[in-house]
Amino acid sequence: MPPRASKRKTAPPNSSSVTSSDGRSVFSKTKTKGLGKIDRLFNSYANSSSGEIDPDGIVALCSDLGVDHTDVRILMLAWKLKAAKQGFFTQDEWRTGMKALRVDSLSKLKKVLPELEIEVGKPLNYEDFYAYAFRYCLTEEKQKSLDIESICELLNLVLGAQFRPQVDSLIEYLKVQSDYKVINLDQWKNFLRFVQEISFPDLENYDSSLAWPLILDNFVEWMREKHS
Amino acid sequence: MSNQKKRSFQIEAFKHRVVVDPKYAERTWKIIEHAIHEIYNHNASGLSFEELYRNAYNMVLHKFGDKLYSGLVTTMSAHLKEISKSIEVAQGALFLEELNRKWNDHHKALQMIRDILMYMDRTYIPNTRKTPVHELGLNLWRDYIIHSGKIQSRLLSTLLELVHKERTGEVIDRGLMRNIIKMLMDLGSSVYQEDFEKPFLEVSAEFYKVESQKFIECCDCGDYLKKAEIRLNEEIERVAHYLDVKSEAKITNVVEKEMIANHMTRLVHMENSGLVNMLLDDKYEDLGKMYNLFKRVPNGLSMIRDVMTSHLRETGKQLVTDVESSKDPVEFVQRLLDERDKYDKIICQAFSNSKTFQNALNSSFEYFINLNSRSPEFISLFVDDKLRKGLKGVTEEDVEIILDKVMMLFRYLREKDVFEKYYKQHLAKRLLSGKTVCDDAERSLIVKLKTECGYQFTSKLEGMFTDMKTSEDTMQGFYANHPELADGPTLVVQVLTTGSWPTQATVTCNLPTEMATLCEKFRSHYLGTHTGRRLSWQTNMGTADIKATFGKGQKHELNVSTYQMCVLMLFNNYDMLSYKEIEQATEIPTSDLKRCLQSMACVKGKNVLRKEPMSKDIGTDDAFFVNDKFTSKFYKVKIGTVVAQKESEPEKLETRQRVEEDRKPQIEAAVVRIMKSRRVLDHNNVIAEVTKQLQSRFLANPTEIKKRIESLIEREFLERDSADRKVYRYLA
Repeated sequence: MPPRASKRKTAPPNSSSVTSSDGRSVFSKTKTKGLGKIDRLFNSYANSSSGEIDPDGIVALCSDLGVDHTDVRILMLAWKLKAAKQGFFTQDEWRTGMKALRVDSLSKLKKVLPELEIEVGKPLNYEDFYAYAFRYCLTEEKQKSLDIESICELLNLVLGAQFRPQVDSLIEYLKVQSDYKVINLDQWKNFLRFVQEISFPDLENYDSSLAWPLILDNFVEWMREKHS
Repeated sequence: MSNQKKRSFQIEAFKHRVVVDPKYAERTWKIIEHAIHEIYNHNASGLSFEELYRNAYNMVLHKFGDKLYSGLVTTMSAHLKEISKSIEVAQGALFLEELNRKWNDHHKALQMIRDILMYMDRTYIPNTRKTPVHELGLNLWRDYIIHSGKIQSRLLSTLLELVHKERTGEVIDRGLMRNIIKMLMDLGSSVYQEDFEKPFLEVSAEFYKVESQKFIECCDCGDYLKKAEIRLNEEIERVAHYLDVKSEAKITNVVEKEMIANHMTRLVHMENSGLVNMLLDDKYEDLGKMYNLFKRVPNGLSMIRDVMTSHLRETGKQLVTDVESSKDPVEFVQRLLDERDKYDKIICQAFSNSKTFQNALNSSFEYFINLNSRSPEFISLFVDDKLRKGLKGVTEEDVEIILDKVMMLFRYLREKDVFEKYYKQHLAKRLLSGKTVCDDAERSLIVKLKTECGYQFTSKLEGMFTDMKTSEDTMQGFYANHPELADGPTLVVQVLTTGSWPTQATVTCNLPTEMATLCEKFRSHYLGTHTGRRLSWQTNMGTADIKATFGKGQKHELNVSTYQMCVLMLFNNYDMLSYKEIEQATEIPTSDLKRCLQSMACVKGKNVLRKEPMSKDIGTDDAFFVNDKFTSKFYKVKIGTVVAQKESEPEKLETRQRVEEDRKPQIEAAVVRIMKSRRVLDHNNVIAEVTKQLQSRFLANPTEIKKRIESLIEREFLERDSADRKVYRYLA
């Protein structure tokens, strides 16, 4: 999806524009004032010419947060922001995200990260987050699959903590097999199902006559051969 | 009545008692008793039936029925005791005769007595629920004679001995037997069963157990079956002659069990004469016997069927995996046809054309034909051979028969699409080389294939025929438009529609100038009438007839391939040409060129060219000359026809790959069709439905189907259901 630069409104100055005679101006003042802090935070990382936070900005943000820029929490942040393009945050995305997190400063952002993790961990959110992670990595328009390398990294990032042994085996397999050079969203989604449902490493309850994608059938066969 | 005065009638009882003479009953009884004696003593003629009847009637009327009845019982019993004694003393064979005679007497006597005592039978007996006279007479006979200690066992053993004698070949008095048995039957079915039938069956079982054991040790299977059949028929006849008809099923069961069921396995597997040997030697009679006998016992037929099936599968497997026979495809298929004919005949003649046996035959063939992955190819080659030359002089009906048999084999193939591919290739070669002997036969086979597999299967094949016809018309049009070409070389072009004919790579070949110009003229003529089409010359498939004059003046007409023509025409301008020069001039691909030169320089009788050195292989430094010493008995010499041959390994792989590739879209189309109509369907059912739909062409691999489904998901024709991951949804 193309960056939403064209639709972006110009950042309004802090509070001066909106005043009215009734008391509402106080609210709007607070709001815009709140917005102001968010915007200021945004601007501190944004690239001044493009008006967006670009990869460099994200790296800076990460170091300020004390988080590695390859950390899964940044991915979670992107998810919360509903960021469209990997490595970039638009002002709209930033605003929406920060408001949803009820955060307007760096320190608050830092504090809210653990909460964010918990939120992502909830089953409904997690599935959404998982699929999002895949789509986030698609760089080209009409791209539908990711190369094996990227998939392996993504698996590690997203599932590694919770499903270490499965992820390790799966990554090993993906690297040695030659049937597939890319993985599509359907297969990606089924990886999650697999690690969640199939007992490991015995794989007892895996039934290859069911609707599992062929790549997982092959993976299971490979595992079984290895362990026999 | 109302007017009349009512007068009461009074009937007064007798004022005096009527006393029946007490001696009256006794006197009357004595008369009857005497009569009974006379009857038993064969003196009944002096008796008056009317008088006796009246006396009995009176007795019953005057309430002396008890006396009458009990008197009857006593009298009759006394007589029977006498009779019993006389039977007991009878010696040897006379025993049965005496019994029979006495029985007849008693029977007659009983009739008469019953007639006399009819009134009692009809009134007193129903009232008192006593046994009626006739039945009483039978019961008494039974009790005093048949069940008498001295008679009972003797009777039984006599009867059984007679049966045994008859079984061992002696003749017995069947009439006497019949009467005695009938007597037992008359006495009641329980008497017949207890006093005769049950022991009879036991003894028979024992007899046949022993006999069958004896036979099985010394007879071979065919003989044994014959003997068993004889015994069985014997027993049936025995029953018909002198036993109760209900005994037939029981005694035949005994024979079946002892002679057949108990030895079934041993018979079937008997060495050198068992079922397998019978099948191998086409012993229709013995097989028929086995079928009819085994039909009678449980699992008999299924045993025959199982043994036949496993034997057939074994022989079939050997047939198809035999390396030697694989070298000659025509022989291979012929052997299959012969084997099928053989078993067809066996089932028809010996197994009464049983459907289950036919099914077993079909499933066995289906099993082993598909063990050899080249079967489709071979069957096509067989047909090719027949359509080229094998059908000369064969009548039209016979042609149909052969083609029908081939269709039978075709039906067994699982990979019918492989057959289609080869058939197309072979048909193309036949059509283009003008080598079909019989157009009707070709058409007939196409029709059969269409009936079997549907229009799609044969539409391309039919397209090929159409192209041939159209080309004829095109050629006529061409020469009509260009009358000036009538003197030059005659060109015959077959224009092939790309989709219908097997795909061929276009090859390079430089035609001789005369031909090249002619071909160009044709091309412009054709494209003039058909715009928007592209023509490419398939020089690897053409033929040519050229007139040649050799060194000593011999003239011959040579029938050659296009390649060969190109090579030969070069020698019009050169006496000697090296391989390299030929290659340069004609630009024919190397392997084809080598084969082409080989066929003209190294084959005896066809060596229109001479090669130096005279080795069998073509080397790049070889030199070629026209063979001035060429001779042939015939004016027309055919060199190197393009005969359909068994494919080489790399060609085979290529064909198989193409077949696999063709299957992918077919699978996808089937999946889409099914999902479109069902909208939502679970994985296993999709696999099942797809397999079923494609069954008539090939056996779809579930893994391949899965791959195609995933491909369709990626291209967003389908999606997985969000709730139930086993289910797919169609995306419109």
